[in-house]
Amino acid sequence: MRVMVCLKPVPEPGSVKVDPETHTLKRESATLILNPADRFALEAAVRLKEKTGAEVVGVMMGPPNAAPLLKEAYACGADQVFLLSDRAFAGADTLATSYVLARAAQKLGPFELVLCGKVSLDGETAQVGPELAAWLDWPSVIWVKSLALEDGRLKVARLTDDGEEEVLVRLPAVVTVEPESVDPRPPSLKRLLEIMDREIPLLSAADLGADEALIGLSGSPTRVLDVYTPTYEGKKEFLAGPAEEVVNRLVSLLKERGLI
Amino acid sequence: MTHKGVGIFAEWTDGGLHPVALELLSEARRLADELGTEAVAFFLSPPEGEEAARVLIRHGADRVIWAAKGSFSRFLDDVFTRLLVRMLEAERPEIMLFPATARGQALAPRVAGKMRLGLTAHCIAFEIRPEDRALVQIRPSFGENVMAKIVSLTKPQMATVRPGVFPKAKEDPNREGEIVPFEVPEEELQSALEVVSKRKRAGRRVDLSQAKVIVAGGRGLGNKELFSRLFELADLLEGAVGATRPVCHLGWVSEDHMIGVSGHTVSPRLYLAFGLSGAIHHLVGVRNPGLMVAVNTDPEAPIMKKADVAVEGDVREIIPLLIERLKNLKGEGDEA
Repeated sequence: MRVMVCLKPVPEPGSVKVDPETHTLKRESATLILNPADRFALEAAVRLKEKTGAEVVGVMMGPPNAAPLLKEAYACGADQVFLLSDRAFAGADTLATSYVLARAAQKLGPFELVLCGKVSLDGETAQVGPELAAWLDWPSVIWVKSLALEDGRLKVARLTDDGEEEVLVRLPAVVTVEPESVDPRPPSLKRLLEIMDREIPLLSAADLGADEALIGLSGSPTRVLDVYTPTYEGKKEFLAGPAEEVVNRLVSLLKERGLI
Repeated sequence: MTHKGVGIFAEWTDGGLHPVALELLSEARRLADELGTEAVAFFLSPPEGEEAARVLIRHGADRVIWAAKGSFSRFLDDVFTRLLVRMLEAERPEIMLFPATARGQALAPRVAGKMRLGLTAHCIAFEIRPEDRALVQIRPSFGENVMAKIVSLTKPQMATVRPGVFPKAKEDPNREGEIVPFEVPEEELQSALEVVSKRKRAGRRVDLSQAKVIVAGGRGLGNKELFSRLFELADLLEGAVGATRPVCHLGWVSEDHMIGVSGHTVSPRLYLAFGLSGAIHHLVGVRNPGLMVAVNTDPEAPIMKKADVAVEGDVREIIPLLIERLKNLKGEGDEA
């Protein structure tokens, strides 16, 4: 069995700048970290490997300076890692991103399973997993907290709004992994040393055989028109001073308004 | 042929209409009126959903495109996607709104991927751009503390909306509309998924959306112990505890308590914010609170500008004092 894990480089909170003209993110300016939710997907894949001997392939779309994050993924148990990197990928929304990942799944495949994190720290859309499944025409299941192989199918427990369901899924499939479902292991120092001096293989749009009309900004059907900072105004009370006094004033205020 | 009409995905769940359907419908109705077009509900349910289809009409839908099958009591990602894509291709709405529920979030991106459409997640407001009828979709922007206005170049222009963002549509018992049955050929029901069992979450559910009082905390509380004291405070105020995303990630409290873009949307009568700065990603989850009180050491924090009552002070002092004061009040009340 071969499992592809989608990994996203995300800007460390507070370190990103926005391009004033296109309103897209200037990712070059940011310090990149591995999207926290993706660690759970990677861990779920590595556990499958330990149980079934699956091969785990970590795939990331990102700029060349994201390569060290893939070394970290290797150190956490991925067998192979690839960076999908091309200037033409820039400005991609979730549809264009999922297309590139789908191309990678086809190019580097065959895979029986693609695992994604539930949601990214920066975009918070949670759309790429199911969109990727649509490109591949594979089934998808989201919010999965446990998974195991059972008679050639994948048995998953998926969260619903008010509980959970047990679902058998035909493979190949795309699954997004619920955080906290597994405890991601720290990178192994031994594996880190193994990969330290190795070049991370880069795959360009041409390497993936990607259709230029479907990648980057040209493949993205959404456009950011404008970003703005909301302003807050209105009448407000400002309380300051010794804590005891402030609390008394707050309590009387809440009483006056019938809130306590 | 041009695209016309404002569509919603009306979710059937647990033997009834998901309440968020009526919230989406109120916004769809508003947009449809502004565009001078119709509001259309796309509805997949078992046959007993017919009354729910009428409920949708009484709450503002001009038409309900209804696919009825016994098996639709259970959600199957691939079957629902296939059918909804067929419905959208046949009906060609210009706008399509999905609930950001477990099902909506599984379905909307699959549909977007299949039809190669733009999709904007977790919108908090919509505007119509008059010159070209474009749907301007508003949501907090990536990472930074700003809001973004987004448009889609494809149609239907699709977006997801969390429960609690829009008010429920009002019922008009005399409102008329059309229920349009949608034929479902048997071969369209083939699924790669088999739901073998289902169970409701055990234990007390955190129902933040219904809470009258919410006591919320952020990283500024410094540690889990102080955060835990918010539960005491919430009990005294007969409220619930909310949290920012960083706090959930730190493990101080479960994600069930998270308020904001990727958490709950709440509208309590009283919202007390302790040690949270007021990042947009959090604040968009707090809709029209009756009274917002913020306690923070930094008078310049966004939350202090947003709050109705801004308290400059140290949460480590204020929280225990407030708990004590409320306990005393309760004691006096009991004696009286």
